[in-house]
Amino acid sequence: MSSRISRRNFLRLAGAGAAATVLVACAPAATPAPAEPDEPAEPEATEVPAAPEPEKVIFSSYSFSGFEQAMDDVFAVWLADNPNVELEAWFAGWGDYWPKLQTQVAAGEPPDVGIGDFSQVVTFAKGRVLAQLDDLIAGDDYPLDSLIQGGVAQYRWAEGDFDTGADGGQMYGLPSDAQPSVFYYNKTMFDEGGVDYPTDDWTWDDLIAAGQALTNPEEDKWGVGFPSMAMGRGCFLYQAGTTAVNEDYTKCLYDTPEGLAAFKYPWDLLHTYKIAPLPGGEAVNPFMSGRVALGSEGVWWIVDFSTITDFEWDMAVLPKNPTTGKGTTAVESDGWWIFREASNLDTAWSLMKFLVSPEGQTVFADLGFVIPPSIPEVAEVRYAQEPPANRGKALQNMLDDSEKFMYTFFESGTINSVVNPILDRAWLEGEDIELVLEEATVAFDEELEKAWELFEA
Amino acid sequence: MAWLFVTPVVLGMLIFSVYPTVYSFYISLTRWDLVTEPRFVGADNFVSLFTSDRTFPKALSNTAYFALGASLPGLALALLFAILLNQKIRGRYIYRAIYFIPVIASTVAVALLWTWIYQPQFGIINFVLKSVGMRNPPRWLASIDWAMPAIIIMTIWQGLGYDIVIFLAGLQNISTAYYEAASIDGANGLQQFRHITLPLLSPVIFFAVVMSGIWGFQAFAASYLMTGGGPANATMTMILFLFNQAFRFHHMGLASAVAYCIFVIVIVLTILNFRLQKYWVFYEEGS
Repeated sequence: MSSRISRRNFLRLAGAGAAATVLVACAPAATPAPAEPDEPAEPEATEVPAAPEPEKVIFSSYSFSGFEQAMDDVFAVWLADNPNVELEAWFAGWGDYWPKLQTQVAAGEPPDVGIGDFSQVVTFAKGRVLAQLDDLIAGDDYPLDSLIQGGVAQYRWAEGDFDTGADGGQMYGLPSDAQPSVFYYNKTMFDEGGVDYPTDDWTWDDLIAAGQALTNPEEDKWGVGFPSMAMGRGCFLYQAGTTAVNEDYTKCLYDTPEGLAAFKYPWDLLHTYKIAPLPGGEAVNPFMSGRVALGSEGVWWIVDFSTITDFEWDMAVLPKNPTTGKGTTAVESDGWWIFREASNLDTAWSLMKFLVSPEGQTVFADLGFVIPPSIPEVAEVRYAQEPPANRGKALQNMLDDSEKFMYTFFESGTINSVVNPILDRAWLEGEDIELVLEEATVAFDEELEKAWELFEA
Repeated sequence: MAWLFVTPVVLGMLIFSVYPTVYSFYISLTRWDLVTEPRFVGADNFVSLFTSDRTFPKALSNTAYFALGASLPGLALALLFAILLNQKIRGRYIYRAIYFIPVIASTVAVALLWTWIYQPQFGIINFVLKSVGMRNPPRWLASIDWAMPAIIIMTIWQGLGYDIVIFLAGLQNISTAYYEAASIDGANGLQQFRHITLPLLSPVIFFAVVMSGIWGFQAFAASYLMTGGGPANATMTMILFLFNQAFRFHHMGLASAVAYCIFVIVIVLTILNFRLQKYWVFYEEGS
């Protein structure tokens, strides 16, 4: 008999080995067999009650400057009241976080509590990945109305809905913050140009007039930075009295008169009045480098802007559309959600409640973190009191006139990835905005149709 | 016994290469968002890529542009530098090391460095261009027309050292007897290059062409890090498109279909290269 292994036998052996490896890897950890004592154990003098098994909660989040430390400090306060909980938190950068989470979800092993993304609520809720919170909210009589409602809406979804936010849905998360778009202005440039600061009632026309007075291309000084963030969130569409899509999410509204007005305004800043530098290619935020007098950005920029020493700056509400009189800002809210497979729903809910509670948010606010908390009272007491003087304008704009971030509907990310490159030609090359919008609308409608096919599959 | 020793390698290959490759083909025939169960859709993903997807054709043409733009000029430059570094000049070993440093540098670090170099207002390139009188220098990564050339330039810079080393090895393998004989016969430098260096180096050039073509179709990091595929999809490559579909939009079926398209393209190009080599690649007799 030959001692050599034939190829066929080798493959069989290798296959069996691979199968065994997989089976061993998939098998539950072996339970240690109770040891059989060699001799009878001595009876213990006193019965010591066994320590209860700690409850484990796995938390996950993407992270950015200072966030992980801030979360650790918030956890420490909650854990002090929950000594029997073992909290395991993992963080990753934005780019790595979502693929890792998706892999865990696909493997059926998601964390218990995680940071929520308003743009993925429909996908995750529809896929039965997230826990419905309504029973927990009702059971605790939790005051949802104490949160900023634009943020709450982003985590409310009704079965069959193409988007979040409609009345009557179920809650699949709670907002952790509320981030409106605001305008920052360079007070020094305004003073030097003899231009009045923005007021609470300023309009698009006022912004253009101020921008024209402050622009000097020869010195690379511009009246206004291209407001890509306000536009990308839908602020100008809301202000013009429209939205990106019709009510049943079957038709894009970009090429309507209101849609055209919403897009023509930023286009005019670039190509008609030439008071904004072409967007893109910035290594440093153009407001921060002093190139633009007015910058429309998210509120989180406050922390970076607070390091500015070359000029004075402050904040203003978004300018109003002169036709409609609306100064709507669009709010995006990161949040917290609990995964349906959470090992201990009550403990996960306890952690989530703390994170959103005034106490949790106060700890967060005391850490000097930039994002305004989702409860107006905390924001008013803690957040709005910090410099600059008009920091509270962000909160005011949000409470006075705000809507939820516009692109939270199913497959909106995919649709924007197709439509935005078309719009880029208008911004960067100055192509006629009306023609570009016609093309963008056709593409949007095509992508909507595909999205509905996926949604209904 | 021999089979036992290779078992770990074979098992690793089966588990980590063969199985994912086969499984991804199955995924390419499904719609799968990682959240719900995969649903079999046949060839729909492949059909939609070529009939209704607005971004894929652009990604395909961009990738071809990148592969051609980065490989041919890159190889020509590398050959030029290899010939220069093959001369008996003082400090040639230091030069060779210097040219190789970008190859071993992290692509992330290189991309960040070049993002600053290309910065329209403060970047060193535009600083030089403005200082010599150009009023409106390119906006490089922010320009629809210039973004891809900018990435190609950076890629050539980073990969130059590798091809130089390959060509240097080839050049040093050419017997000096050929050049001596040619000199005696009165051939000048250009004639020696044309009739000795190029033919005898052609197997090495062939290898470099095949490899750079394959790498060209795998272009991802520079676009991902420097432009995200923009502006206006000007730097969207097939692998970046695949990545976006898989990990931003959760279209795992479509992403797998893109992977197989790339696989087929690379295979076809490689076969084509091998078929065409009989027209321009010369092997020394006996080799």
